[in-house]
Amino acid sequence: MSDTLARSLPSAGASRSVKAPAAVFDWLLAIAVVAVAAVLARAIWFTPPEALQGEAQKIFYIHVPSAVVGLYLACPLVAIGGAMYLWLRDERLDRLAESAAEIALVFLSIVLVTGPLWGKPIWGTWWTWDARLTSTLFLWFVLLGYTVLRGAIEDRQQRARYSAVLGILASLLVPFIHLSVRLFRTMHPQPIVLAPDKPKLSAEMGLTLSLAFLAFALLFVALLRGRLKYAALRDRVEALEAGDA
Amino acid sequence: MSPARPPGLFAAAWMIARKDLAIEYRTRSAFFASLVFSLLGVSIFYMVWDPTAVRPIDIAPGVLWTIFAFAGMLGLHRAFGLELQTRAMDGLLLAPIPRESIFLGKALANFVYVASVLAITIPAVVLFYNLEFGSGLLILGGIGVLAAIGLVTVGTLFSSMTVHTRFAELLLPMLALPFFIPVVVPAAQASAKLLVGAELQTVIPWIEVLVAFDLMFGVACILAFPFTIED
Amino acid sequence: MPDNAGFMFAAYIAAALVFGGYVLSLIVRARTMARRGDAIDSVSRS
Repeated sequence: MSDTLARSLPSAGASRSVKAPAAVFDWLLAIAVVAVAAVLARAIWFTPPEALQGEAQKIFYIHVPSAVVGLYLACPLVAIGGAMYLWLRDERLDRLAESAAEIALVFLSIVLVTGPLWGKPIWGTWWTWDARLTSTLFLWFVLLGYTVLRGAIEDRQQRARYSAVLGILASLLVPFIHLSVRLFRTMHPQPIVLAPDKPKLSAEMGLTLSLAFLAFALLFVALLRGRLKYAALRDRVEALEAGDA
Repeated sequence: MSPARPPGLFAAAWMIARKDLAIEYRTRSAFFASLVFSLLGVSIFYMVWDPTAVRPIDIAPGVLWTIFAFAGMLGLHRAFGLELQTRAMDGLLLAPIPRESIFLGKALANFVYVASVLAITIPAVVLFYNLEFGSGLLILGGIGVLAAIGLVTVGTLFSSMTVHTRFAELLLPMLALPFFIPVVVPAAQASAKLLVGAELQTVIPWIEVLVAFDLMFGVACILAFPFTIED
Repeated sequence: MPDNAGFMFAAYIAAALVFGGYVLSLIVRARTMARRGDAIDSVSRS
């Protein structure tokens, strides 16, 4: 009944009821959450701790995948989505950048919260101003600014253009912050997995970490999908409201 | 006389910069506000430190460049705020000039304003903190120019965006400050080196960062600017 | 081996809180938006 009414509304994209895609917590997100929970349960109870660092080393099964997903999947999408929007002017690209930014903010928040909790027992300090930590922190601030900027602009196209410009500039900024801090001595541990000469993770730890990467990547995809659905719904509702007024 | 031709990129930029500077010269609002702010900031910073525990020479560079970033930001909002009243921006957009020249003109006016605040703040810091720069002062001036260029390019672009938003004055620092890090950190580190009389060579890497930042963001901001003023 | 399991649990719980809070906010926002959409439906019906 309401379906037919929605269809008769004089607005683009209202072929289905606005209600239909409201479920952002769908089967994919459910699977992703279960997968992450399973991997983390494996990390806590079924993976041996590292001998020198103790149990706190297991923080790294959240910290590292979150950092990789946030920094190397979500953040590039903000800049790429923005740049593509300026080129193609497709609203979906703007929604992609917007959603990726918000999810990057979530993952980087997790990185910034779990990092000090690992640093305190292992390094003996909550925080240190080395290149990685500093650039992650300021990237977090930039993403926060990005989100606030979006909230401060009414016009949809203006919002999309401004945030695209900010997203592109931010991608240029990160190497500079990294470089600025790099000129100081840095004490962040080199990623032990990627350094060939360093003692390798045990096979069991490596498997847990690989599974964690997979699970977090799946979580990212599911979250992004849900956030995109929400953005599409919001845009449709706003278009309908504007059409009604 | 030949019929009037529209001015070129730099001629138009120069006209816009001159217009803004004339307005600023007559009102002196932003300049004095920023100047007083930075002088106050410099002296307050001196007093919150225990001079027997930390030598003034150790905090002076950090104070100078932090205050510089904040004072510069105070005036950046004005650049496009001016054009908002009586919708003067529409006139600029209708003018037969390249859009890039609006950016260049605004940035140039901002540069003059930021550089003049800096030109008074540096001697003030030298005076208040009893510094002895010697020949390093010239290099410090050069660093000041590079830092001002970096601050102004990014700041001008962001002020052209935030001016159209709600709570513009609050949003500008939030967006711009992270972008000032690669300006403020190298400038402060280089000045600290100069202050203790280090070799010029030890300062070069920091100056390289500043130059790279200016070039990269100079180009990026000029390219990005037309996207921020479409209608 | 140092005894620091407390930090591990704190980190896992903190991460869960950040993530759970975000998903909750997303669900609430989507629900509010759907309600606004329904409101348009009922307005156009009358």
